[in-house]
Amino acid sequence: MDKMVRRILVFFVLVLGVFVAVAIDSVRNINRAVAGSDWVNHTHAVILENEALRSGLYLADGSAHTFVVTGEPGDRRAVAEALSDVSEHLDIMAALTRNEPAQREQVARIDSLVSARGAFLRALIKARQSGGMDAVHSVLADDAGQLALKDIDRAVERLKQDELGLLTERDNASFMQAQMTRWTVWTGVVLDFLLLAGAAWLIRDDLAARRSAASALRAANNQLEAKVSERTAELFSANELLTAENLERSWSNQGLEHQLNYNNLIINSINDLVMVLTKATNISRVNPAVVRVTGFEPHELINRPFASLAQLTHAGTAPMVDPVAQAMKDGRDLRDQGATVLDKLGRRIPVEVALFPLRDRDKVVGGVVILQVISGGKA
Amino acid sequence: MQKHILVVDDEATIRDLLELFLSRSGYRVTAVSSAPEAEEAAAKDRPDLVITDLQLEDSDGLEMVDRLKALLPDTPMMLLTGVLFDPRVVRETLKKKVSCYVEKTAPLARILAAVQGLVGK
Repeated sequence: MDKMVRRILVFFVLVLGVFVAVAIDSVRNINRAVAGSDWVNHTHAVILENEALRSGLYLADGSAHTFVVTGEPGDRRAVAEALSDVSEHLDIMAALTRNEPAQREQVARIDSLVSARGAFLRALIKARQSGGMDAVHSVLADDAGQLALKDIDRAVERLKQDELGLLTERDNASFMQAQMTRWTVWTGVVLDFLLLAGAAWLIRDDLAARRSAASALRAANNQLEAKVSERTAELFSANELLTAENLERSWSNQGLEHQLNYNNLIINSINDLVMVLTKATNISRVNPAVVRVTGFEPHELINRPFASLAQLTHAGTAPMVDPVAQAMKDGRDLRDQGATVLDKLGRRIPVEVALFPLRDRDKVVGGVVILQVISGGKA
Repeated sequence: MQKHILVVDDEATIRDLLELFLSRSGYRVTAVSSAPEAEEAAAKDRPDLVITDLQLEDSDGLEMVDRLKALLPDTPMMLLTGVLFDPRVVRETLKKKVSCYVEKTAPLARILAAVQGLVGK
């Protein structure tokens, strides 16, 4: 995995991380909002129960006073029912505030005040039923100004205000929480957008780099192919030239060989003894007739002085100066010279000698000697 | 269309070299070693040029040229030989029989020039 791919992966992991963080925070805020909503409902329930308690208490109080005036059993039952409702509201309030010490304490105080008021109302009813109006006056005198009822009213109002204050606080907190959620979501979105933009930039950069590298590679390949083609053409051309040169050389060699063979064929076909002499009159080459007539093998004759094989005669005696050497020195032909050849068996064979100097650019470089066996000789 | 050349020589080396050289020069070459083979090849695939040696194992090159002339009257004949002739002999005698005479010691370029002169490139 190359460096660029790792970088892009890191970007995507960060995007995923931000997304997960935003999701977790959002879920947590939703849970908080739900919990806040439960709490608000709970607070409203406390307020409603509180108000109902107050209404019930006023109803009980009013019904008790009515019973004092009318003495009707229906009014007495109304007091009992109203007190029962108040007691039920108190139980509910106690249950609702059991986990909140401050409210629980206030409810306990209201409970205490309500209990006292209930006892007062029951005493008032009892006085009406048993003692007549004097006893009623006595009980009512203890409640001059209805201070106990006002105490209950204040306690109920304080609880209501406290709950309303808590509602306001919760509302503010909820607003802040919503703001925080919005901020978190938008921050996450912006961050993810920036990260994705960064990843896109890296991908674009990477693609551009890859395209550039591929283009450079193609160019290098094309250049290499051009060089290879050029070199191949050069090699082909050189090979063609070499082949042509080899062909020409082979042709030249065969031509020379053919010519040499042809020349040898001519010399070897001559029935007379043909010898090639060096400038110093040593034998350098002989034809097959020489071998046949003298009995010597070519290697026994090569580099041997011609005079040791053939001796020229002059009026029956050997000349004082070697005529062959002299003719070679003078560069002139020598014809019809009488001579004898000493063969391998020591026999003397009479021959006629002819010498033709070999000239190379007017310079004598050797000579060709032809020995013709005189009739009656060996050949 | 490649020009067809019939090469007649009893030496395999010369046949092979000439066949290779003339093929590389753009000609279609049939190489044979004897006069009967040459006549058979000429009858089967008419050549545009005949290149022959003077001395063949089984016959004389000039005799074969005479026979091929009867078969291919318009086909030029080139004599390629190692036998050195007197220029006067070439001019007065061989010219009547062959279109061109080239020595075997001549460079290949000269042989090619002679071939091109007779049949074109």
